[in-house]
Amino acid sequence: MRRIKRTIFAMSAAFMAMQGAFAANPGSEGSEGGFRLEYEVNAGTNIGGASPMPLPVEIRKINSYNPELNLQIGGTVRHWFAGTEKWGAAVGVRLETKGMKTGATVKNYGMEIIDNGKTLKGRWTGKVTTRYHSQQLVVPLTACYRPSRKITLNFGPYLSYAFSNEFDGYVSEGYLREGDPTGDKISFSGDSRASYDFSEELRKFQWGLQLGGSWNVYKRLSLNANLTWGLNGVFNSSFKTISFKLYPVYLNLGFGYRF
Amino acid sequence: MRFSESAVALAVFVAASSCIREEARNAECDITGVTLPGDVLNRLPVIDNDKVTLIVKNDVSVMSLAPEFELTPGATIEPASGTSRNFLFPQTYIVTSEDGMWSKRYTVSVERNNTINLNYNFENVRVVSALGGACSYDVFYEVAPTGVESLEWASANAAFALTFQASSPNTFPTYQGDEGVAGHCAVLTTRSTGSYGQRLGKPIASGNLFIGKFDMTDAIAHPLEATHFGAPFNNVPTQFSGYYKYAPGETYCEPDESGKLVPVEGKSDMFSLYAVFYESVPGQEWLDGTNVLSADNPHIISTAEIPDRRASEEWVEFSVPFRFRPGKSVDEDKLKAGKYSIAIVMGSSQEGDRFCGAVGSTLKVDELSVSCMKDSDEN
Repeated sequence: MRRIKRTIFAMSAAFMAMQGAFAANPGSEGSEGGFRLEYEVNAGTNIGGASPMPLPVEIRKINSYNPELNLQIGGTVRHWFAGTEKWGAAVGVRLETKGMKTGATVKNYGMEIIDNGKTLKGRWTGKVTTRYHSQQLVVPLTACYRPSRKITLNFGPYLSYAFSNEFDGYVSEGYLREGDPTGDKISFSGDSRASYDFSEELRKFQWGLQLGGSWNVYKRLSLNANLTWGLNGVFNSSFKTISFKLYPVYLNLGFGYRF
Repeated sequence: MRFSESAVALAVFVAASSCIREEARNAECDITGVTLPGDVLNRLPVIDNDKVTLIVKNDVSVMSLAPEFELTPGATIEPASGTSRNFLFPQTYIVTSEDGMWSKRYTVSVERNNTINLNYNFENVRVVSALGGACSYDVFYEVAPTGVESLEWASANAAFALTFQASSPNTFPTYQGDEGVAGHCAVLTTRSTGSYGQRLGKPIASGNLFIGKFDMTDAIAHPLEATHFGAPFNNVPTQFSGYYKYAPGETYCEPDESGKLVPVEGKSDMFSLYAVFYESVPGQEWLDGTNVLSADNPHIISTAEIPDRRASEEWVEFSVPFRFRPGKSVDEDKLKAGKYSIAIVMGSSQEGDRFCGAVGSTLKVDELSVSCMKDSDEN
């Protein structure tokens, strides 16, 4: 909790610094009103997951998917370029959670368990339960386009820093072939499961693209929807246990209030 | 908000599910079942990952047998199922997976009128590596006076490798020691299975060695059932003797519900070392950890148990008779037909099957022997 508070503080400080940066650089127009800044605070929820793209052939079935309640709060500063009034640029800062819990059935799924300096490699056929929970500070830098008074679209890259990262789960109800598909077969059934925890292997810095829009529903209030698509996998590139990359793809739904 | 969230969750779920790709062809290449034409088998086929043992009735000719194989769906076998071959010597088969990427060589041997050793001196081990060579363990075997390997002892060492705790053979629960009564001896030590074993609710591994087969496939899911005790035996055993040394570990523990070890005050560890002679019947061809000494197991004929086991730094010589269970006797016809089996079982923690014991408890065993009513077959 303390950590979250501190981060909220850090975020508001960053937000104010951004405001300051814009304000201190009034731009070429040089006149009040010529350089127009728009401030928005927003909140929402993230729905999505860290998923391989496309699903590898080893994944036979998605048994369950729980997006979990991933809250987001943040702020955006927009600048509309003079003259066009349709184009602008925005920088934001968001404190958000990206999470999910999934259950899948896999066949011949390459896996590796490392413990005590030794490696158990093998192919797993059976159930895999995965939980991902990451708390991040995200800074999107987007271009904005306003086709009408009611609609604002945005597109651009984002950078994120994860200050809390968890990725864990277990395998159950299936069997491992040690080494390769010809290796010793070890069954898991009932309560027996092998847990894994790859939290330490998650990347701290991620980046990706954001595409979104907001609909100005009432005076200063807008409904926002932003799709963020991670372009580097959630794991460090040195991590080979999961043989395919998992990309964080989240839809952020929420509302904003403009000052 | 709630509704839209669930709706989107559903949409994501459906989208992900609809992306499931066509199933790949099977990569496995297992023999999953073996049958022989006619009523010739005396036991169920013993199918390991790379070998098959067929125990046939004593009057069956092994010169020409045509085993039929069940395989992983889509896999193929060479020579084909139903090919007649001479099983005086083990025969090799190659199984290739449906996707054609993997193949496995099986050795198929046929045993008949099998006579296992009656003396066990633990002089022979082969070293088997696991975890891609990161660790290796001892597998004991016995050699008949003819020089032919006559018995491979079973242990759960292969499963212990998966706990990541072991490296060299003497870091496993069961290994060969140097200072035997004569030559080498068997050493069994109760080990911690580390964090990985604890997460599986199996915080310790008792050293264990037995006549029979360890079923690796079942090791984690059903550890008690994974120990298949016994091998066919064509004599009536009368006496079980040998030598042991025992040093219990310092702290006796039991696992709590989460699999964590909790010390038990005032309790000391004790080993197990016994022999069981029993009838193999369809449905219970072997004994396992759930029933090997059960008082109500109707198929046990006689057992040889040491009544006064104790800790000792010196070798303790023992010789105990096989005592018949009440109302039990040996049927001559069944004996001739090879329907009986014997199991010798030893463990460094007698309650290790429930994962209770003291880490460090060490049992050493050497020069075991079984005397029989008629020792005519071999010695």
